[in-house]
Amino acid sequence: MFRRSSYASVAAGSAAGSSQSQAFAPTRSGAFSHLVNTNSNSGPQAAHSSINHPRHQSRTIDADGHYNSMSTSWGRAAPLPSYSSQFGYLNGFGGAGQDGLASSSFFVPSYLRGSKYAEKLEEAHRAKMAAQREYRSNHSSNAGSLSTSSSSVNLHKMVPSHRGMTHDIIERAPVQVDEPIAPWPTRWSDTDKYAQLEVLEDGRNAKFSGTQKSHDEAASVRADFPMPRQCGIYYYEVTVVTKGKDGRMIGVGFSGPKVPLSRIPGWEPESYAYHGDDGQSFSNTTSGKPFGPKFGTLDVIGCGINFRTGTAFFTKNGVFIGNAFKDLKTDRLYYPTVGMKKPQETLRANFGQEPFAFDIDKMVQAEKESIQAEISKVTRDETALVHELVSQYLAHDGYVETARAFSEEVVEESRALANDDSADHTQAYYPSVLHNNENIYFKLRCRKFIEMIRRCNELSAQYQPLVQSNASNGAKRTSVATDEYDFEMELDEQLGIGVHNNSSSTNNTTNNGTSNIPSSWSNNLNTPMLDTDTDISNTQTKLSHLTDETIKYGMELKQEFASDPRREVKKALEDTFALIAYENVERSALAPLLEKGGRVPVSEELNGAILVSLGKSSSAALERLCQQAEALVGELAEDGGPGAFINVKRDFLQ
Amino acid sequence: MSSSTVSASGATPTQHLHPFQRRVDDVKTSKADINFVIMDYLITEGYPRAAERFAKEANINIPMEEESIQARVEIRRAIHTGDIDTAINKINDLNPQILDTDPALHFALLRLQLIELIKTCTATETSDIVPALNFASSQLAPRAASNPEFLDALEKTMSLLLFLPTENLKPELAELIKPSLRREVAGRVNEAILASLGARGEAQLRNLVRLRQWAEDKARESGRNIPPFLPFGVQVGPEEGESGEAMVS
Repeated sequence: MFRRSSYASVAAGSAAGSSQSQAFAPTRSGAFSHLVNTNSNSGPQAAHSSINHPRHQSRTIDADGHYNSMSTSWGRAAPLPSYSSQFGYLNGFGGAGQDGLASSSFFVPSYLRGSKYAEKLEEAHRAKMAAQREYRSNHSSNAGSLSTSSSSVNLHKMVPSHRGMTHDIIERAPVQVDEPIAPWPTRWSDTDKYAQLEVLEDGRNAKFSGTQKSHDEAASVRADFPMPRQCGIYYYEVTVVTKGKDGRMIGVGFSGPKVPLSRIPGWEPESYAYHGDDGQSFSNTTSGKPFGPKFGTLDVIGCGINFRTGTAFFTKNGVFIGNAFKDLKTDRLYYPTVGMKKPQETLRANFGQEPFAFDIDKMVQAEKESIQAEISKVTRDETALVHELVSQYLAHDGYVETARAFSEEVVEESRALANDDSADHTQAYYPSVLHNNENIYFKLRCRKFIEMIRRCNELSAQYQPLVQSNASNGAKRTSVATDEYDFEMELDEQLGIGVHNNSSSTNNTTNNGTSNIPSSWSNNLNTPMLDTDTDISNTQTKLSHLTDETIKYGMELKQEFASDPRREVKKALEDTFALIAYENVERSALAPLLEKGGRVPVSEELNGAILVSLGKSSSAALERLCQQAEALVGELAEDGGPGAFINVKRDFLQ
Repeated sequence: MSSSTVSASGATPTQHLHPFQRRVDDVKTSKADINFVIMDYLITEGYPRAAERFAKEANINIPMEEESIQARVEIRRAIHTGDIDTAINKINDLNPQILDTDPALHFALLRLQLIELIKTCTATETSDIVPALNFASSQLAPRAASNPEFLDALEKTMSLLLFLPTENLKPELAELIKPSLRREVAGRVNEAILASLGARGEAQLRNLVRLRQWAEDKARESGRNIPPFLPFGVQVGPEEGESGEAMVS
């Protein structure tokens, strides 16, 4: 793990920049106005902005929080690096993201696409953009008046200017992501470099502009962020753009944050590299080991770490050379690092902004597959467990009809399978929840019926005062209606009926008893009643409609369970049907069944009964299992373990 | 083994929570995802009536109008009841390539058929074992001749003739007459049919269950800080019974 610090420390760390930035405030605002417009997802928020500078979009996106705030969270030495010149490669690599948001400076290396880690980072990026949008909308007048195209160009020279902004944003709108997610390297650091080494263009070119070094001196530079373990495998490439006049003393590799940059990578502790002049690999020492071919001008050298296996490998011009280092420590930070010795030597890095020369995607894919194969080898006869998970979920979430059909089919299957065995063998295949299921189903249907009667009753009671005086009591009735609605929804949920399911089911009363609650009924309940004249006739219509429905439902209920031999069922049916005999049920002996106060315990009991039958779990076992799987995989991903190669949702829930 | 107790998720919030438990609680699952897994399972493993109901109740579509499902259910039923002849015919009706390209599966089916024949003929008074012998020599022997694994399986199966009917078979022979073998072969046939249609052979739900188990094992192996038990609410007790079926109580 290398989460170093929270956003709080980011904010604190950039306090200095904050005060400095005051002077540049107008510029900053101007820059952000472009951000708003670059975002295709911004929806209504985009509408308020009338400023649009399409031509400057790509150049102003570098104000993106991904770079500035993230960078400070790594606890690197001051002065903090500036990422403001990071605009050059935007045009060509928008394809890295799937949507307009990600088409800004944010990119996803090809081999990480679809990974959980990339998803998280994208999410964080998006949250950041949203926060900036919010900031922008709060300051829209300011920005509107000051935004000019020249300001966005100037921004690149005003190095600290947007860091104060980040600070502000964080205070205003805390980013939803709980923990900062380590970003991947995007460019060479402007500060974490040897003094005479220049970081040019878009930050991906490193050029040695000094004079000839002595034998053991060199100029090195590290990338802006370490290679993140969450990748599982991290990989980047470097192209030797210009070769020095004589010799090819170039080192490509990775090093810890404190390794001196006046030495060629590989010569110091915690520094690892592959050298072009002799093709040897170096770690921790000035004497190398034979490793691969020499390299020089226009060669593309790739460097990768497999965090799961703790090995590092190199490639040359798209060809895998081999593993150079093993047993890398799991608790260290490794930054992509290059070093060179000859004046004018220039190296250009590809951190994933462009397609790689080496087919790293394939390597990562192979790693994923080997892990999937390992998972599929988990042998255990899970058939009974799977049956139980499915039926428990169906019952838990109220898919009662499905649960019944499933249990019937499972029982059929078991009987077929055990045709020559004793009856108790069948029990082994018969999940416990389904034993109780029939009972729960019956109770729920009875409750539903009672509710319908009560509703009828209440409506007719309302009808009277409505006729007498239709100008009062509005508030009270509204609250009654809302309360009623909530309870109705609860029942619907238990029966597995969403309101959306009912939209066209008014006449569907044939064989599917649970889907015949008229949509009009639910909808009416949803609408607070208004004391208008039309309401009276509405109530009347509703009442007769509801009565019809209630009677129909009752008949079905009776038909379905009349022949049920269980005593409790008989008793419940009798009680329930007695209700319908009373003209005004609320005065009958059975009134407790209908009382609102009485309803709560009944429903509690019902829920309780269901939950008990389900092992007292508040969420369905299958959901719990998913959550655990996700959390466990998360644990296994943080340090680059096998979990890094799994995306639960993509790989298992689709 | 793990996760064999009742879920503790109903515990009061005042109780001290393991940090990992909090992490689990923070994971948001989507109903749509779970419903997908359920529907995928019902279709893949062949529960057409439940799938149809579920489509209605959960308001989701039955994926890809799976037309093989009825045939798969019939084939499964035929294998489960030991009517292997019917099963093989139905499989060939569906797609003759399935068995042609998977000799091991074909052999497994024929061996099931032989087991059924042996069970039938040893159960009768006369103990006429000629039909079983004929079937073995005409159908299985030619396939076994070139494959040591098949041959071994055939020999083992034929030895049933010597011991049946009896109460105490050697475990390796007892395996052969258990329903679980029929279920296993039926499962393989189902997978093969789905694969021949270009569909995923196994339900994602099974993979998900395996993933969870694998991840727990890995996490324990590497000494992560997770609670000693990770119950998820369904009690599948210690493996009981000779068949190794998890008893559900």
